[in-house]
Amino acid sequence: MFRSLQSDDHNLITLSVNGRSVKARKGQSVWSAMAVASEVVTRKAALSGNARSAYCAMGVCFECMVEIDGLANQQACLSRVAEGMNVSTQVITEDTEADAGL
Amino acid sequence: MQAFDCAIVGAGPAGMSAALALTQGGADVIVLDRADRAGGQIYRSASSSPLPDAASLGPDYAAGADLITRFERSGAKHLAGADAWHIGDDGRILFSYQGDTRELHCREMLLCPGAMERPMPIPGWTLPGVMTAGAAQVMLKSDAVVADGAVFAGSGPLLYLIVAQYLRLGVRVAALVDTTPRRHYLDAAPLLPRAWRQVGQLRKGLSLLREIRAAGVDTYRYAENLEVIGEETAKGLRFSISGQPHEVSADTVFLHHGVQPNLNMTRAMGLAHHWNNAQMCWQVTVDEFGQSAISHVSVAGDGAGIVGADGACAAGRVVAQNMLYHLGRVSRTGRDRNSHADLYYLSSMKPFRRFIDCLYRPTEALRLPRDTETLVCRCEEQSLGDLRAGFEQGARDPNALKSLTRCGMGPCQGRQCGHVVTGLLAQWRKESPDAVGYYRLRSPQRLLTVDELGRYNTIPAEAAK
Ligand SMILES: Cc1cc2nc3c(=O)[nH]c(=O)nc-3n(C[C@H](O)[C@H](O)[C@H](O)COP(=O)(O)OP(=O)(O)OC[C@H]3O[C@@H](n4cnc5c(N)ncnc54)[C@H](O)[C@@H]3O)c2cc1C
Ligand code: FES
Repeated sequence: MFRSLQSDDHNLITLSVNGRSVKARKGQSVWSAMAVASEVVTRKAALSGNARSAYCAMGVCFECMVEIDGLANQQACLSRVAEGMNVSTQVITEDTEADAGL
Repeated sequence: MQAFDCAIVGAGPAGMSAALALTQGGADVIVLDRADRAGGQIYRSASSSPLPDAASLGPDYAAGADLITRFERSGAKHLAGADAWHIGDDGRILFSYQGDTRELHCREMLLCPGAMERPMPIPGWTLPGVMTAGAAQVMLKSDAVVADGAVFAGSGPLLYLIVAQYLRLGVRVAALVDTTPRRHYLDAAPLLPRAWRQVGQLRKGLSLLREIRAAGVDTYRYAENLEVIGEETAKGLRFSISGQPHEVSADTVFLHHGVQPNLNMTRAMGLAHHWNNAQMCWQVTVDEFGQSAISHVSVAGDGAGIVGADGACAAGRVVAQNMLYHLGRVSRTGRDRNSHADLYYLSSMKPFRRFIDCLYRPTEALRLPRDTETLVCRCEEQSLGDLRAGFEQGARDPNALKSLTRCGMGPCQGRQCGHVVTGLLAQWRKESPDAVGYYRLRSPQRLLTVDELGRYNTIPAEAAK
């Protein structure tokens, strides 16, 4: 279980993760906000559909790709939370992969 | 178009130290880093820690705040949040910044991309709940987020450091599962007398282990046959010691067995690389001043071979002197005089490095997968069995295997599977990693959207002033 060591309630913002309203601290990474909210599945693997989650938290594994405000392939560990942001687990299958950018 | 004297990619210890020396030498410098703040891996958020008590991370971390402050006052232009994805041998750098694509030009280019953790392809390593120990540290330093009751497994100083940091902060640790084999202690022992010159570093390492033992954390030594338990998410770790099975329950498993240079930037430039057998990884080929075969392109810090934070600082200063020499701001003898002490320090560190590299040498059992179902390529879901089948169909080098199986073709661009693929092919072909080679990489080094490319901007050198 992930938790924050910060106890004060300053600088809190609200975002939505998979439709759930979640509180996070300004400046926090999207991934750590998801982790504290126990929403750890970032994406479904394209072939097997297996659940995946952040692995490196530093931008080199691309396991944390989520959809942010409708945009796919956003690395949650490198993105910062914002008020009203919409984050959801990314489901890109083999068929839709071609549309997902470069 | 006017060019910057110097552009540095990476604001870790290497990049910051180089920027300080370059601005002192009168050069105009721009530093790009994808992170929001300067500091790199070791000094991440050191000057703006979200932790109630950052001192608990140790004196090294606190020292980082001072370097960051000096860097920020140096006059170098720091673009935080700038992610470089094309480095041209023509002095052109393309990067993403605030959702746009930007371009800049420079006369001298210094790449300080640092290191990443060595992948550990054990069964179950792709399950949610399995992360690297460095990930635990990143979350702790940047966001003050921790995992209670996690198990830490592997070997090496960074693993013991994060466990000690957790304990100081009162975070419960389920167990430390140390995989350093018994024989490594015997192999490393003869190297100890010469390494003793870096006695301070050695003491630091030993005191971390003492601290962990004193805290009463369950510590298992000489663990083998690691396997993450769980179907949908991690439920714990299974391993054996001298043939005896053990299990630790935990919903978070942090793995670590050393770091390796971030290759994609130097590889995509087409620079020469060679296999470092002591550190079991690829590294870019540069001279003692960090200069590559392209004379205006240099590499410093862990990105040019693992040297640690102090080594990265020294290397950054050395490379900066050579760049000042290229720019005509210091004579050749001036360069040699100014870098003498740092070059001496770097060579005096070598015996210590050799000792550490030997003691914590990644074992083959953790470097390469052993079960046919274990995934090597996390992005394209290619398992050991898939790769072996590709090899048997005739794909004998990393690029052929990539075309045949898609291994290495996903968004991480081989960052996770590359070293494993080299290792497997070397084993199957019974040849050296150098003979096997690595993926051919190209820019862009990250996922881009057409939308982003549409917004294109150039940063002229006047911006530095
Ligand atoms: C996760 C992790 C945690 C670590 N923690 C410690 C520690 O606590 N103590 C310790 O002694 N050592 C630690 N290390 C080892 C560390 O590599 C060195 O100690 C030291 O940080 C190396 O300095 P550097 O300047 O070479 O690289 P780094 O400090 O890694 O700095 C590299 C910088 O380059 C940036 N970068 C990389 N690619 C790009 C790009 N394409 N565009 C823009 N910016 C880019 C990164 O954001 C980073 O800030 C850690 C390593 C890792 C991987
Ligand atoms: S967790 Fe690895 S890239 Fe984000």
